[in-house]
Amino acid sequence: MFAYLRRRLAAAALTLLLASLVVFASIHFLPGDPVVILLGEQIGGDPAVVEAMRHQLGLDRPVHEQFVVWIGNIFDGDLGRSIRTGEPVMIDLLVRVPRSLELIVAGLFVAVLLGVPLGVISARERGRPAGTIASIAAVAGFSAPVFVTGILLVIVFSLWLELLPSSGYVAFSDDPLLHLSCLVLPATAIGVAFMGVVARMTRASLSDTMRRDFVRLARAKGLSRELAIRRHALPNALVPVIAIVGIRAGNLLGGTVIVEALFDWPGLSSLLVSASFSRDYPVMQGTLIAIFVIFIVISFLMDLCQGLIDPRVRDRDR
Amino acid sequence: MARAPSIVASRRLSSTAVTFSGTILVVMLLAALLADLIGPHDPLSIDPNRILESPTRTFWLGTDELGRDLLSRLMHGARVSLAVAISAVAIAAVVGVPLGITLAYVGGRVETLAMRVVDVFVSLPEIFIAIVVLAFAGGGMTPLIATIGLLYFPQFARVSHSMARSILVRDHVLASRSLGAGPLWIVRKEVVINMYSVIAVQASFTLSFAMLTEAGLSFLGLGVPAPTPSWGQMIGTLKDYIYINAWPVVLPSIALFATVLAVNVLGDCLQDRLNPELRR
Repeated sequence: MFAYLRRRLAAAALTLLLASLVVFASIHFLPGDPVVILLGEQIGGDPAVVEAMRHQLGLDRPVHEQFVVWIGNIFDGDLGRSIRTGEPVMIDLLVRVPRSLELIVAGLFVAVLLGVPLGVISARERGRPAGTIASIAAVAGFSAPVFVTGILLVIVFSLWLELLPSSGYVAFSDDPLLHLSCLVLPATAIGVAFMGVVARMTRASLSDTMRRDFVRLARAKGLSRELAIRRHALPNALVPVIAIVGIRAGNLLGGTVIVEALFDWPGLSSLLVSASFSRDYPVMQGTLIAIFVIFIVISFLMDLCQGLIDPRVRDRDR
Repeated sequence: MARAPSIVASRRLSSTAVTFSGTILVVMLLAALLADLIGPHDPLSIDPNRILESPTRTFWLGTDELGRDLLSRLMHGARVSLAVAISAVAIAAVVGVPLGITLAYVGGRVETLAMRVVDVFVSLPEIFIAIVVLAFAGGGMTPLIATIGLLYFPQFARVSHSMARSILVRDHVLASRSLGAGPLWIVRKEVVINMYSVIAVQASFTLSFAMLTEAGLSFLGLGVPAPTPSWGQMIGTLKDYIYINAWPVVLPSIALFATVLAVNVLGDCLQDRLNPELRR
């Protein structure tokens, strides 16, 4: 287990290093001079001012030196200040990280809540109408782009039924009930896309387990098909499903980009998008790093859990 | 990318699904190719008196927020969505496949290190990188295609690398080698020829990812700039008007959904057909 932990840590560190290189490079090597953006078009036209600013920001130093300084600052919790507001980037991030995480966790919850039953039905009712319908629902959920699902949800639940707010965010401490009702639609939009993956895995794993000897034994002992599936096959079939949910959990982050824009959810992705439009590069860098760190931490924790549950995983990539 | 076994398992269902998906794709391709010829109106002509209308005699599918014909815009949008996705997949394959094969051939430390890097890029959520790159590179077709293409080439590198590795140790390669075949000959005649099916399956999956990424970026306003229509951008604009008329936003949503679904179903069936050992 210790060797496995060490290998996973090394992998996470490598990913983090490469991710930060990508972030650094994407800002420094792309067209569009950050200093000119920083100063604004008017003052940015004066070469002397630009040069002075470049020196003040340390942008005239060699690139590798800048990278080291930048990384060092990140470890000190210093991500620079926003060009637009002048506020430290870190403060904004600390407020927004929990909001995005909340969205992901709620989305995961919806995905499992809908996906597992759907997969069970399509495995159990294979070849019958109910099974086919469940299969089609899973493929549809898998293929539907998040914003299409999201817009449909808004049209049905807030335009027609007038049950839930179409967008917006209220802090939990201000109004817990309103906070949760604002969360339902965006979380469902993210969850439905992931539901298809969960349903596919559940179906594949359950139809495999249903053919195993221990399930046949349970049936031979006189258990009904229903009970044999629920008590014996399903718990075993869910182990790989949990694994895949864990591995892909980080991918839900990608879904938040669209959902946060669609539902005005003030999380990390919407910060990245709005900073991109104003080319507020310290905010862009900081947000991107935060997103990648979250992604890497989730992946690492999931690897760890899997290694704890299943000893075979520990030896796999030796 | 690892996929769960195909969900369209029964033969009868799968042949219906293939026919259906194939029809959708052909219709979309025709709409894209013939948009100028058969589109009933100019997709850019504005009519301030007829905004956000539901379907009428003149405007068969209604109008958008500036009174432009939705049917024509949908057809021109199909052109942008398909062109961007197909070109991006082509770039990804052209960059990724040779890279994967070369690494498999070279082997050693270089291979291990490079594949680690490729794995990292496959795992990172790509849309965030795309947002930052496009913010600096600016919108427009070319940056969009290049960015999406470069985002997906690691997937092709990974697939072709593992495939090439398994082919290179086969007996027929050993036989050619002992007969004095050079590396280029082996790659061309032994490796690439045995990889087509796997690359085709990868391309079909990547095509649906690329379409979704393009639509997502255009939805956010980072893709093809207005007034050129693309489905994602139409959805992004029209969603603000659902309280006036919810109909217009539904159309591009359905078009995008149907196309992605069709590509996914066809990709699934392609995989089943080309890899018989996966069939159950």
